[in-house]
Amino acid sequence: MKWLELLTVAGATLVAAVTVVVLYSLGVRLTAIAGDRQVAAPGWVKYVSYVCFGLCGIAVLFGLYLIIPYFSG
Amino acid sequence: MVALVIALALFFDFTNGFHDTANAMATPIATGAIKPKTAVALAAALNLVGAFLSTEVAKTVSGGIIREGSGGVQITPDIIFAGLMGAILWNMITWLKGLPSSSSHALFGGLIGAAIVGIGFQSVNLETLLQKVILPAVFAPVIAGLVAYVCTRIAYALTSRHDPETGSKLTQKRGGFRNGQVFTSSLVALAHGTNDAQKTMGIITLVLIAAGTQEHGSGPQLWVIAACALAIAIGTYAGGWRIIRTMGAGLTEVKPAQGFAAESSTASAILASSHLGFALSTTQVASGSVIGSGMGRRGTTVRWGMVGRIAVGWLLTLPAAGIVGALTALLVKTGVAGVVIAAVAGIGAVLYMFLVSRKSQVGHHNAVEVEEAGQAVRWAKKKALARARAAERAKNNNPKGPQR
Repeated sequence: MKWLELLTVAGATLVAAVTVVVLYSLGVRLTAIAGDRQVAAPGWVKYVSYVCFGLCGIAVLFGLYLIIPYFSG
Repeated sequence: MVALVIALALFFDFTNGFHDTANAMATPIATGAIKPKTAVALAAALNLVGAFLSTEVAKTVSGGIIREGSGGVQITPDIIFAGLMGAILWNMITWLKGLPSSSSHALFGGLIGAAIVGIGFQSVNLETLLQKVILPAVFAPVIAGLVAYVCTRIAYALTSRHDPETGSKLTQKRGGFRNGQVFTSSLVALAHGTNDAQKTMGIITLVLIAAGTQEHGSGPQLWVIAACALAIAIGTYAGGWRIIRTMGAGLTEVKPAQGFAAESSTASAILASSHLGFALSTTQVASGSVIGSGMGRRGTTVRWGMVGRIAVGWLLTLPAAGIVGALTALLVKTGVAGVVIAAVAGIGAVLYMFLVSRKSQVGHHNAVEVEEAGQAVRWAKKKALARARAAERAKNNNPKGPQR
């Protein structure tokens, strides 16, 4: 039966989408904090936001890497 | 006959790209994240790339649904021709009537109907049909919707900013999501290429197998993949121009954060399904995500009537296209004259569709299929309410109706 495969799809979708959204949202949030004028934000916040965006991109690329048969042999 | 079917299949692919560009690129164009021309070109390119990524779905179509080959029954190019005609005709009917429908399911329905009439009921592999088409059709939009709901919640929770002392709301600064949408919608375009282009590959491969030029159970050949990829990319590019024209009409209001969540869940759901060979409708998954992300926003109510209408449209497609496919198969069975009649009817229908599409004003009801899903969720908005009231007042003052 293919219920297992269906579950796989559900799980993969959830994990992939949540990963991307969490990382990107964190990036957005930290960018917003870094951009605040009144409260001086620590300098590292900006860099952490870059790291978040970067990780998000890597997560997407990794997902594609998993899917494309050319890479997985 | 084989050449005719291949040409028809490629045309089907083209229309598929033509219709579905909107699903991927409408939101980023609407929010101004990306220029229309760039968006359309990007979508076309990514569809092209996506088509090369995987062949699992193509194998499902070519080897799973209809029992072909030794031990099974001999499927002929005529039957595939009838099925394809059924799909194209049904697509045209729904398109003219403005019904939400899935071209993928029309394709399967037509093929199944034609096979049942042309060969017999035993020709259809019910098990694979249930497992790889019907179950995903029911569950994939639900999965995508749930995930989109969760993602929207997360996105809003993570970016909601309150002043730590007073507790009052700060500027939310969610503008970053607008740029993110460029990437997520590109992923949706890529996913569309992987799933939808493959259905056509599967059909062409099925024809080649039926004609005896290709081994049973083998995957699509390279030139088939390339042709399908090109057809869907050109279709996407051509279809894009219609959408650009509709952009002024205004889309359902989707906030960038919401769109980002919806698109990432759509793309993940489609890509994951493609990888396992599930043939699903990208439009349906995208609609599910839009509804899900709409529910994830606070203060929304779902118009269940609208959701029901969409669902009925989905459920109807498979059997209805099946009936049309079956009728075409009957016609084809009568001999050469029947084939000619069916071919002429099909080409006529396509031409008519093309002419109407040139003539008719493009509204977002026929350009953006997801639009309907967006309308299924409603949130109370003061501005929108005020606008509606103003419109009503204007209507009362002007009994002739709104002037264009």
